[in-house]
Amino acid sequence: MISILIACSIGLPWVGALLVWLIGDKHEKVQHWTSILFSLAAGAAAVLMLWNTTGDAGLTIKMGGIFGDFTFIPDGLGVFLAVIATVIGSLAVIFSTSYMKGETQIGRYYAFVLFFIGAMVGLVLTSNIMLMFLFWEITALCSYALIAFHNDDPKAVRGGIKALIITSIGGVGLLLGALILFVYTGSFDIRLFIADHSAVPAGMMAVLAFGFLIAAAAKSAQFPFQTWLPDAMEAPSPISALIHAATMVNAGVYLLARFFPAFKDVLYWREAVMIVGMLSALLAAIMALTSTDLKRVLAYSTVSQLGYMVYAVGAGSVFASQFHLFSHSIFKALLFLGAGAVIHSVGTRDMTKMGGVGKHMPFVKWVFIIGALALSGIPILNGFWSKELVLEAGLAGGPSWIYAVMVLVAGLTALYTIRCVWMVFFGEARSDYHAHKVELAMKVALAPLALAALVSWLAVGPFSQLLGEATLPQHNIETLSLASMFHEVLSIPTLIALIGIAIGIALWLLRSKLAGFIEGLKSLQWAAEHSFGFEAVNSAVVRVTNGLAETLRNTQTGLLNWNVLGILAALIILLAAIILGA
Amino acid sequence: MIDQPLFISLLALPFLAAPLIYLFGRLSVRKGKLLGMKVAKTLTLAVLLAEIVLLVLTVKAAMGGSSVQQLIGLELMRFDGIGLILSAIVLVLGVCVTIFSFPYMNNEKGEEKFYALLMMTIGSIIGLGFSYDLFNLWIWFEAMAISTYFLVAFYNEQSASLEAGLKYLVQSAVGSALVLFGIAAIFAAMGSTSLEDIWQYGAQLGTLGVLGLVLMIVGFGVKAALVPMHTWLPDAHSQAPSGISAMLSGVVIEAGLVAMLRVISMTGKLGGNWGYILIIFACLNILVGNLMALRQTEIKRLLAYSSLAHVGYMLFGFGIGFAFGSGAGTEGGFFHMLTHGLMKGLAFLSVGALLYALKLVKGDHSALTLEDLNGASRKYPLIAVCLSVAVLALGGLPPFAGFMSKWMILVAGVQTKNTWMLIAVIFVGLNSVLSLGYYAPIVNRLFKREMSEVVTAGKRVPWTMSLPIVFLTLAVILIGVWPMLTDFLLYNGQYFLLGYFFN
Amino acid sequence: MNLPIPFIVLLAVISLAGTGFYCLLFTRNLIKVVVALQLIVKGVVLAFVLAGHLQQNESLAQTMAITVIVADTIVAVIGLSLAVQIRQHTGSLDLKALSKLKR
Repeated sequence: MISILIACSIGLPWVGALLVWLIGDKHEKVQHWTSILFSLAAGAAAVLMLWNTTGDAGLTIKMGGIFGDFTFIPDGLGVFLAVIATVIGSLAVIFSTSYMKGETQIGRYYAFVLFFIGAMVGLVLTSNIMLMFLFWEITALCSYALIAFHNDDPKAVRGGIKALIITSIGGVGLLLGALILFVYTGSFDIRLFIADHSAVPAGMMAVLAFGFLIAAAAKSAQFPFQTWLPDAMEAPSPISALIHAATMVNAGVYLLARFFPAFKDVLYWREAVMIVGMLSALLAAIMALTSTDLKRVLAYSTVSQLGYMVYAVGAGSVFASQFHLFSHSIFKALLFLGAGAVIHSVGTRDMTKMGGVGKHMPFVKWVFIIGALALSGIPILNGFWSKELVLEAGLAGGPSWIYAVMVLVAGLTALYTIRCVWMVFFGEARSDYHAHKVELAMKVALAPLALAALVSWLAVGPFSQLLGEATLPQHNIETLSLASMFHEVLSIPTLIALIGIAIGIALWLLRSKLAGFIEGLKSLQWAAEHSFGFEAVNSAVVRVTNGLAETLRNTQTGLLNWNVLGILAALIILLAAIILGA
Repeated sequence: MIDQPLFISLLALPFLAAPLIYLFGRLSVRKGKLLGMKVAKTLTLAVLLAEIVLLVLTVKAAMGGSSVQQLIGLELMRFDGIGLILSAIVLVLGVCVTIFSFPYMNNEKGEEKFYALLMMTIGSIIGLGFSYDLFNLWIWFEAMAISTYFLVAFYNEQSASLEAGLKYLVQSAVGSALVLFGIAAIFAAMGSTSLEDIWQYGAQLGTLGVLGLVLMIVGFGVKAALVPMHTWLPDAHSQAPSGISAMLSGVVIEAGLVAMLRVISMTGKLGGNWGYILIIFACLNILVGNLMALRQTEIKRLLAYSSLAHVGYMLFGFGIGFAFGSGAGTEGGFFHMLTHGLMKGLAFLSVGALLYALKLVKGDHSALTLEDLNGASRKYPLIAVCLSVAVLALGGLPPFAGFMSKWMILVAGVQTKNTWMLIAVIFVGLNSVLSLGYYAPIVNRLFKREMSEVVTAGKRVPWTMSLPIVFLTLAVILIGVWPMLTDFLLYNGQYFLLGYFFN
Repeated sequence: MNLPIPFIVLLAVISLAGTGFYCLLFTRNLIKVVVALQLIVKGVVLAFVLAGHLQQNESLAQTMAITVIVADTIVAVIGLSLAVQIRQHTGSLDLKALSKLKR
């Protein structure tokens, strides 16, 4: 039973991907429906797994040798993320049927979306470290292909390749860690490693743990790799919602959470994780505050919120991080799809050209506001509960100065969220855009997400049970009932956080009276607009590499004499090396 | 005295067929009739398929337990795992290239020579793999080189082809002379060129032996395109007819590598850090290959430079094999040799199909640039997908074959538990990422909506060209998801290479 | 001076190969390039003869030397025919004119 479910949730999207591609772009309607059908079927299979979680292998394909057995384990953590990937994937596909209508090469689009969904499920369910790396790279491949979907737009192509290269550089960290894990434990099975990592010497363990941290930071767009995510916003909005908000970027957090029991004792690892989370949260929040591109604001806020999750893992609370991941997937997918509806209708991403959109699109306005409130951490939406749990965990498990920064970021979050909502939906129109009607398919995708943003926190009991000892014995996650969550959250630190959020809102309301203060922040704004120099570092690396390549090309002189000299030089150097070595 | 009819036929058939093929083709050209050319083409394909059958039967015979070997004069040919891998690659790729070339070379001047020379190249590579005598090894090697000289300079109306052909010839000849000096040194040290003898008395070779081995590494290294002996490669690969580019990149440079490995393996008792030398060459090749490819604008030249990097990956695997006695490293090297043959063959054939439809059909012999690829997917969706698979596989992305072979090599690197190797693994991994910097834009260009001028005016790609391309694409994907398919080949290659080196 | 014969032959081998390589490095003339290759291979042939003499295995050395000469002649013929065609197409035998393919 469970093996069939696993096979379905990974295999069906892939079969669908192949079918959509084979159907061909002449039958657009059929492509739309095929994609919906296969993504929904995969979603159903994943949801059914919720009642069949187990800590043992659910599906094993014997491969052996240097590749290990391809094993899949439907434990709580994996199934939870598989459900997120397939359900939000289905909603993104439904949304796309309207958003992408009439685009050319729609087959390529759906094929990659479905291919991605399958790979994401595979990534979170497998317990074979090589397979994990394989799926990790496939998600990067899909992300690249979808960001650069509009291949004629050089910005889209640049963004896609940038995402591919940066996540692959991080991927080298995962690769190295995976190889060390295999070589020293003699097995590809990560369960064995998490249960007992004594076979790996301390030095190697550090390389492994920090390699995984680099991989996670690159994948989740964390400091110092955050620059690729804003540029990835050239992707169609459903892709931003699915891959760059709700699923793929979570893979980094998943990796840290999955291996936390093994890494928690590595010297300075937890501190490093917390600082990476803190810097990402802080810097991205400031950048979100100054950006005027609607999707970029959301992208920065994704980086910032992922920073909270990473911080929670570092502070030792895998549960809080996963609970925030749960909330964030819902409200950020909601925000991105809502933004997609606005952009699709208004025809621009520039918020300075919007204003007053709410009058034309009341439905989108309200669901977007629900999402925004959740993002800001306003009671009683899901973002409030999970963010408070993260902060509590941070206070308990980490230094208080980092906690203070995170509270500050909570205030900043409220500030940039309000700013964004205001610029888009309220006030007067700042350009003569023509808002179109919102289609049914978009509403079908948005409504359940809005509802979930309101009530998903009620599921804290079952959620904590899902991650409990039954399937994840090493993570020591205790069951948290609704009542005890109330008890835990309703305490002094929450009040502090709420005050921070309130200050953020107050700053926005008093913005006209604080002109002098804002003037003082101009230099900070300048730095934020230049992404604190990270963009400059990126382009410097690209420039140096290209320069090196151009210079090296001069060695191919085309003149035969030089070519022969190359051969002789090799001979002489080799002989000299042998003589000196002997 | 023929006690191995299967094995002898495997070795001899291509050389018996080559003159016949030429004769049929020549007669048809003389008489102005097309029938003879058709017979020549069919014969080529039939012989290659027969070779595959013979190879399988010989494997069966060898699996029976008795060793399959044959003395030709004084020189020994023995069927073993290393030769098996090389023959398997060359025959699979040979069949694909032959079918591909039916339309590609149709009505070219000198078409009748093409198939005969291709057959000779294939025959000599098969022989090279099974040779157990140093001088004999050189003969096969030289036969391979001579038959490819003509093929590289095939378009003898084009001065660029002639230039590439001449540079290839001179550098190959220099390499070949160095190999001969090496053989002479070893012969002077022990009075025999039998690899069995060299293996057995390797410890007594002394300084002359070391000198000989260095000379042979450099000599074979020219053919295997080790940096800095690589300069002939980008010219030859980009100027040859596309089918030949696929052969050159997919097997000919690998044949040079196999010859070098065979020699190193057989002089194992000589001692020395040959594995580390290979690893240094590997890093050099990977870096130089990737950087040179990064800024290329001609697609065939870009693929040629990427071959340098891929030879580097193979060398890395073999180097680890020799330096640390790593079976996984050697298997990884052979695995990458195999997957690279398929991937690069696929890439060159797909590019060749586009080159044919966009330019050659109209008699335009200029190079296909990256610009020309813009929007190709709208007119050639199948070829565009296949080319995308090829370059993404070369870049080491899953679920394609290149990912698996690189994985295997890197596993071996970490298995050494050596800090330097760990750093080298990171270096190789980062370089693999760097290679995406030139592979990925190709894919983006293919899937642009706006078509380049040549694509707009492009002609149809014949199905006989698409057939081998689709076959190779499926192979690249299949090995990517089921890598254990190749286990038999890899294990035996590794067994023979390291078996001799360490005993 | 009373040098042993093998040593003189070795000197000949080295000077033949050295001249050949020197020529390959510095000549700009295509025909001379082919001649240089010939010189190097003549050095090879002599090296085989020397090796055969040292090992008292002259017959095998002879076989190999002859084989090398045959193969080398083929290479020379191809090289010269390429040179002829290049001369026809570009009107020059200068290597400098033959460096269109670069970078």
